[in-house]
Amino acid sequence: MLSVVGLGKRHSGALRPLFSELRLAVGSGEVVALVGESGVGKSTLLNCIAGLEQADSGEIRIGPDALDMHRLDETARAALRAARIGFVFQAFHVLPTLTVAQNIAVPLLLNRAPPAEHGERVESLLRRVGLAGFGPRWPALLSGGELQRVAIARALVHRPALILADEPTGNLDPRTADEVLALLLERVREQQAGALIVTHSRHVAECCDRILTLTPDGLECAHPAGPSQGGRSHHPEPHGGEPTSPPALGRGLGGRVVQ
Amino acid sequence: MTRLAWWLIRAQFLSRRSATALSMLAIALGVSLGYAIHLINAAALADFAHAMKSVQGEPDAIIAPRDSAGHVPRALIDEIARDESVALVAPVIETRVRLGRDSTAVRLIGIDVFSAAVLMPSLLPRDGAPASGGILDGGLYASPTLLDNLGLKVGAGATVIRGESRWETPIAGDLPALAAGEALLVADIAWVQAHFGPHAGVGELRVRLMPGSRAEAWRAAWAKRLPPGLDIRAAADNAARIANISRAYRVNLNVLALVALLTGAFLVFATQLTAVAQRSTQFALLGVLGLPPRMRLLQVLFEGVAIGLPGSALGLTLGYALAVMFTRVIGGDLGGGFFAASTPTIVPELLPGLGFLILGCGASLMGALYPAWLNRIQPLAQALKTGFAQRPPGDAPRTLHGRRVMLLAIVAVIPVLTRLPAIDDLPLAGYAAIALVLVLGIAAAPVATRLAFGAMARTTLPAPLRIAVQNVLQAPLMAQVAASGLIVSFALTVSMVTMVASFRTALDQWLDTVLPAPHYLRSKGLPLPRELLAALELPGTPFVRVERMATGSLSLDPRRPPVALLVRELDRADPGARLPFSGPVLTTPNGEITVWVSEAMQEVHGLRTGQTLHLPLLGRDIEVVVGGVWRDYARQFGAIAISATDYRELGGRFEVTDLALWPHPGSEDAARRWLAAEAARHGIESAESADIRRLSLSIFDKSFAVTYALEAAAMLIGLFGLAVTLAASVWLRARELATLSALGFDRAMLARAVVFEGALIALVGLALGLASGIAVGAILTHVVNPQAFHWRMPLHVPWTQVLPIALATLLAGMLASRFAARQATALPAAHVLAGAQ
Repeated sequence: MLSVVGLGKRHSGALRPLFSELRLAVGSGEVVALVGESGVGKSTLLNCIAGLEQADSGEIRIGPDALDMHRLDETARAALRAARIGFVFQAFHVLPTLTVAQNIAVPLLLNRAPPAEHGERVESLLRRVGLAGFGPRWPALLSGGELQRVAIARALVHRPALILADEPTGNLDPRTADEVLALLLERVREQQAGALIVTHSRHVAECCDRILTLTPDGLECAHPAGPSQGGRSHHPEPHGGEPTSPPALGRGLGGRVVQ
Repeated sequence: MTRLAWWLIRAQFLSRRSATALSMLAIALGVSLGYAIHLINAAALADFAHAMKSVQGEPDAIIAPRDSAGHVPRALIDEIARDESVALVAPVIETRVRLGRDSTAVRLIGIDVFSAAVLMPSLLPRDGAPASGGILDGGLYASPTLLDNLGLKVGAGATVIRGESRWETPIAGDLPALAAGEALLVADIAWVQAHFGPHAGVGELRVRLMPGSRAEAWRAAWAKRLPPGLDIRAAADNAARIANISRAYRVNLNVLALVALLTGAFLVFATQLTAVAQRSTQFALLGVLGLPPRMRLLQVLFEGVAIGLPGSALGLTLGYALAVMFTRVIGGDLGGGFFAASTPTIVPELLPGLGFLILGCGASLMGALYPAWLNRIQPLAQALKTGFAQRPPGDAPRTLHGRRVMLLAIVAVIPVLTRLPAIDDLPLAGYAAIALVLVLGIAAAPVATRLAFGAMARTTLPAPLRIAVQNVLQAPLMAQVAASGLIVSFALTVSMVTMVASFRTALDQWLDTVLPAPHYLRSKGLPLPRELLAALELPGTPFVRVERMATGSLSLDPRRPPVALLVRELDRADPGARLPFSGPVLTTPNGEITVWVSEAMQEVHGLRTGQTLHLPLLGRDIEVVVGGVWRDYARQFGAIAISATDYRELGGRFEVTDLALWPHPGSEDAARRWLAAEAARHGIESAESADIRRLSLSIFDKSFAVTYALEAAAMLIGLFGLAVTLAASVWLRARELATLSALGFDRAMLARAVVFEGALIALVGLALGLASGIAVGAILTHVVNPQAFHWRMPLHVPWTQVLPIALATLLAGMLASRFAARQATALPAAHVLAGAQ
C-alpha cells in the first residue's frame, strides 16, 4: 500500500539532512507505528508521504498502481491524497460548520463519488464507528472520543489505500484512547488498507504490527512483543522497514486479537 | 465539489451574518447609486432630446445668431431658399414672454405654418375656438400642459407681454401633437415678429435639403459664407450641447458611486481576509484531505461572488427605486439645475442593468482576490497546526528598499498628474492623482508606524502598552488592513469636508462682492418694463442709487452651451468695485472695447488677461480686450461682462433685465413697500440680498447633502473594517494572549493591551488619513473643480469639523477594540492553551 525508497529531506539552511535514503513499506491490512524523539522528523516524514512537503530525493508510491507522489505537481498530489489516503489527527480536525454526516461525506465529494451512494456509505460507517444516528448533529456537541470516531469514519469512507494517523489518541483519556485505537485498527484491517501511525505512546505502538523508530541515523524496525510481554525486540534496519510477509497480525488490546 | 463549495458558502454566511450582510449592503449602495444616476440621466436626456425633437423637428441644418440679441437677416433667408440643394426653409422666431400678470416666463414660438407642417409637425396648432380665427389671423395656441398650468381655456383672451410690448389676442386653440410636459405657446411668425421683433429678420432658420444632398458638406460650405454673427449647426449638435451641459456633474456623481463601490470592495476584502484567516485550519484540513489548490482559491472567490451577486441585485432594485424617488423629489437634473422642471419617466434598462450587476460582482470579486490568493498559498501542514500564516512563503516580501522606491515614484508622479489638462473636459489625471494619494497613504503606513512608535518601543512602558506597541510595530497583515480601511475612509471624509468647506467659504465671500446692494429686481431674462425704469428716474423714489444690468447669451462654440453676456453699468476705471477679480485687472484706454471674463471662460477657452478676443456681438465680429478674470459661481459655462457704455457705443440696445437698488438711509421700509408694489404690478421678482444669500447657501447645502451621507457611510465602513480586522487579529493571537494570561496578565490588562493596539492603529490611520485627505481635498479643489466645473476657490481646511470627526473616530476605534478585547478574553485561557499543540 505504501512504498518509500531512498527518501531524503533537508530543511533549508540546515547543516545536515533531517533524513536520507529512508526506505519503508506498509502492506495491505498492516498497521505500522512510527516512533522517535521529538524533532527527529516524524511529522516531516508523514508530510512528505502525504505530499504536503516536498522531499529532496526518493520515491513515494501509494496504492496498487503506484504513482510516485514525489514527482507529481501540487494539484495531482491533492488528487492522489483525496483518492488514496485517509487522515486521522491528534486534534480531530472536524469542520465545525458542517454536520457529522457532511464531515464524513467530504472525501466522497472530493472524489466525485455518485451522490446517490453518499447517504448509505456515511450511514454504514457511522454504524461501524458506533455513532449511528449522529449524522445530523453538529461537531460542537460531540465529545473528544466521538469527534475522533467521526474523523476515523471520514478517513475510511472513500476506502483509501493508506491511513496516515498523527497521534490519533493524543488528546483522549486512556479508556477512550483504547476504544478509539481498537476501532481504528479494526476498520483499517477490515478494509485491507495500510496504516502508518505516528505516536509517542508506547502502548499505541505495541498494538501495531510493526514499530519503526526514526532516529538521526535512519529507521529501525521492531516487532512489538505485546502488552503482556512488556517489551519489544530491536532489529536495527538503517535503510528502513519492509513489510513482514505475511503481515503480522496486530497484538491485541487487552489480550484481544483483532483481525 | 459544487456541493462542498455550497456547504462552505452557506456555513460561512450563517456564521458571519452581520459582516456578510454589511458587505452586501456596501456593494448594493455602490451599484444603486451608479444605476440610479445612469437611469435618471438617461431618462432626462431622452426626455429632453424628445422634447427638443418635437419642437425643433429634424432639419438638416439650423442657422442661428450667435448673440441672443442677434437675428438671421431676411436677405440671407432668401439666398438660402434659392440654393438648389435646399428643399425647404422654415423660419422661426422664439422668444420668452409672460402671460398677463403671471410672473412665469413662457416660450413663444413663431412659425410659418406651411413649412412647419413639413419640418415641425408637432407644433401644428388645432383650432378650438372658431370665432377667434385661425393662426394666420393672429391666433395664439397653447400646449395642453401650459393650459393646465395656468388654468387657461381655449377661446379666452390673453395678454402676451415682453418688456414694453403687449399683444392682446385670443387663445385660438391648442397643440395636440406636443408631448405632455412641454409648456409653450405657438403663433404665426409674422404676428410674433410684429409684436416682439426682430424686425430685420428671424430668430432661427431650419433647413431641409433635397433628398440625396450631403448635409455635412452643405453645412461646411455655408459655414464659410455666413456673416460672423451667425453659425450653422446640425440638429444633433443641439443634443450634444445638452448632453455636455450635465456631463461633468454626471461624471462626478459616477465617481462618487465608484468610490462607494470601492468601499464595498474593501469591506468584502476585510470580511474575506478575516474569513480566510479564521478558517485557515479548516481550509488546510480540506487541502490535506485532497481539495485541489485551485479550489482553495476559487472557494474564496465564489464567496466573493456570493456576496456580490445578491448585493448587486439588491443594488439594482434600490437604484431603480432611488431613481424614481429622486426624479419625483428633485427632478431629472439631480439637483444640478440643468434640466429645470423635467420629471422624466424612469425605465429600467436591461443592458446597463447587466453592466452594473457585473460591476458590483467585479468589485466584490476584486475584494476577494487577495484573500483568495493568500488562502491558495497557505502552507497546509503548518496552517493545520498553527493556523493562519500572515506572510506565507509564496507571498513575495516587499523589501524596505523596494517600498521606498515605490513611494518616491508615487510622490514624484502626483504633482505631474495634477498639472495635466483635462481630457475631453474630464479631469481624468486629477482622479488618477487622487487614487495615487490614497495608495501612497496606505503604502506609507508601515514606515509611518515605525517612525511614530519605533522610539516609543525603546522606552520603558507599562506592560499592556508595550505589548500593543510591539504588535503594531511588527505590522502584521491584519493591522495593516485595519489601518488601510481607516486611512481611505478618513481621507475621503476629510477631502470631501475640505472641498465642501472651501467651496462654501468661497461662495460666501463671493456673494458678499456680487450682492453689494440691499435689494434686487429681476425678470428672468425678459426686459423690465420701461414704465418701471422710468418710475425709478422720478424724484421721490426711496432709492439713492440704482444699477442696471442686461443679460443675453453668446454662442462661441456650437457644441458647447452658450456663455452668458452681462451688460452692466460698471465704472471702466474700477470694475473691481462690482466684479470679484481673481487676478490682475488691466486698465485699457478709452476706445478699446474691454470685457471681463469669468474663470469658466478662462478654463474653457484658455483666455488670459490682456489678450484680444473676437466676439460675435450684435451680428458682427468684434475685437475686444480681456481686462481681467473674475470669479463667478453662478454660471458654470462662462460669462462675459461688458460695460453698458461700451455696449451702447457698439450699437447694442441696453434692455435692462436686472436692477440692484440702494435705498436712502432710513427709507428701508419705504423701499421695501415700493418694490413689493412694483413687483406685484409688473409680475416680476423682488428679493433682498440677505434672502438671495440665504437661498444660495441653502441650495448649496442641499446639493452637497448627498456627500455628507457618503462621508458617514465611508466612516462607518472604515470603523467596521477596523473592528472586523482587529477582532480577527485578536482571534488569531488567542493563544499568545492566553499565554500572557497564564504568565500573570489579568483580563483587564489584556483588554487594555488590545484597546491600546486599536488606538495606536487608529492613530496611524487617522494621521495618514488626515494628510491624504487634505492632499485629496486640495486636488479636488484646485484640479477637479476647475477642470470639471470651471470653479476656482482657495483651499480651506475646516479644522473645527475635521478634528472632532478624528476624535470621534479614535474613540469609536477604541470602542471597536474593546469589543475585540472582550471576545479575546471571554475564552478561558486554559481552554485556549489546551487547544495548542
